[in-house]
Amino acid sequence: MALTSDALPRRMALLAGITYTCFYLFAIGDVDLVASSQWRAQLGQFDFGHLLRARSPFLFEAVALLQAGNVLMLVSPMNLLITAILAGLLGANVHGALALHQNAACRTGNGRVFGGALPALLAGSACCAPGIVLLLGIPGLAAFSGFFAYLIPLSATILGLNRWWQRRQGAPALIRFR
Amino acid sequence: MSPWRILGTALVAACMPLPAVSGVLPLSADPLIPAPPSVYRDASLSGGPGKDGIPSIDNPIFTSASAADGQLNPGDRVIGIYRNGEARAYPQAVLVWHEIVNDTVGGDNVAVTYCPLTGTALGFLRGDTELGVSGRLVNSNLIMYDRESDSLWPQVLGAAIDGPLEGRGLAEIRVVWTTWENWRQRYPETRVLSEDTGFLRNYERDPYGSYTPAGGYYAEDASPVFPVLNESDRYPPKREIFGFRTSAGAVAVDREHLADEEMLLHEHGGERFLIVHDPGLDTAWVFRAGDKEPPEYAEITFGAEGPEHPALAALEPVNGFEAMWFAWIAFYPESAVIDGLDQ
Repeated sequence: MALTSDALPRRMALLAGITYTCFYLFAIGDVDLVASSQWRAQLGQFDFGHLLRARSPFLFEAVALLQAGNVLMLVSPMNLLITAILAGLLGANVHGALALHQNAACRTGNGRVFGGALPALLAGSACCAPGIVLLLGIPGLAAFSGFFAYLIPLSATILGLNRWWQRRQGAPALIRFR
Repeated sequence: MSPWRILGTALVAACMPLPAVSGVLPLSADPLIPAPPSVYRDASLSGGPGKDGIPSIDNPIFTSASAADGQLNPGDRVIGIYRNGEARAYPQAVLVWHEIVNDTVGGDNVAVTYCPLTGTALGFLRGDTELGVSGRLVNSNLIMYDRESDSLWPQVLGAAIDGPLEGRGLAEIRVVWTTWENWRQRYPETRVLSEDTGFLRNYERDPYGSYTPAGGYYAEDASPVFPVLNESDRYPPKREIFGFRTSAGAVAVDREHLADEEMLLHEHGGERFLIVHDPGLDTAWVFRAGDKEPPEYAEITFGAEGPEHPALAALEPVNGFEAMWFAWIAFYPESAVIDGLDQ
């Protein structure tokens, strides 16, 4: 089924992806605002083992630290890869949902077209489960913190399935090869 | 436990050869383990990170006190150790990300450990092995493992709840939970753990809250977040008490009460204990008093080794440490409490 121009959905997908990237990196502590203001770059261990060393499930060690003024960033290639995958999937979901929404003929259930957004947000917060638990201060909830991180692959799966369903409904491809 | 079961357990223990690793890791004779190790084992749970996901510092690098002045505020918390003429301070801001430092101080291999969730800092002799973070918790408390036998050691208990050394205790050494200002004044030549830990962390951010002033998870009224074995509402959950224990039992001391009284004599488990307030470090020192008369508090001076007085020199010190109330009572539900009020 041919759809009308998807320029707006593309812009919104890009915005959602960038916003989600910032949110996710902040949530896992790889980007932070700090009190001291300085410019510095610090390299850590750069061997393969350290690169793949997990701090907790789906959270990996950093290999460099960058600080620009009050913004501090820990550079972990594995965390960046996970962020890119989740942000890309979320962007694709937003794109597909808006593109389908634009087409009146395809308006068959907004709940389903937006279905991937919630687990994606959960994934962003799952990586900082202990922080969320401390913030909420719900006794006993922390007992499940070991399971929280597995929301990340769950979210990636749901986002992927949702995107597959959108494509079957006629949503255009996000990336076009000419 | 029935007398027959105790006798049976004792006979079995006496007949069993000691694990070879006991020669590597210095052990204490009679740790206080209020419940069978299986109780703690069954109550333990994942804290989120896996084994060594919170990496111990195994090659610590130190700076001078004057260099550390640029990094630390006077009120910042540090964990201090003084051993064989050497003083070292480990900033809480660094240890909150690592929890264990495997160090050598005054010629002794030691592990300085800190659990942010229970507000406890304890030191242990580690022999030729190292301690690491297992990733598991019991009563919200860090469970350590030793890299020789892989036994599991809840930090507050200081005793193994699983592995070849189950039921054995670690040899404890005194560390002090105080402020940078207090520590620097007592030990001007102290060295300070640097942020060059071998790992990249945002040491400006405490993921749990703040101690200056106490906020977030550290606020007195903030609830503990992990399940605990025993509870008491005698104090707010995060109130800092000073605790010590012997094989006969555990004692919690209200720090404000001790500061007011300056010195306390307490009988517990058939023994007399002398508890001395140290105003310089805002901590306490405990001695087995036996039948000796304690000195006048005004005559006690405080130096590198803690309280100094000829009458104290012959007394055996007992290790103690500050802890959040909820954690202390979770491990020691039968603990005596000294606060001037009824038990």
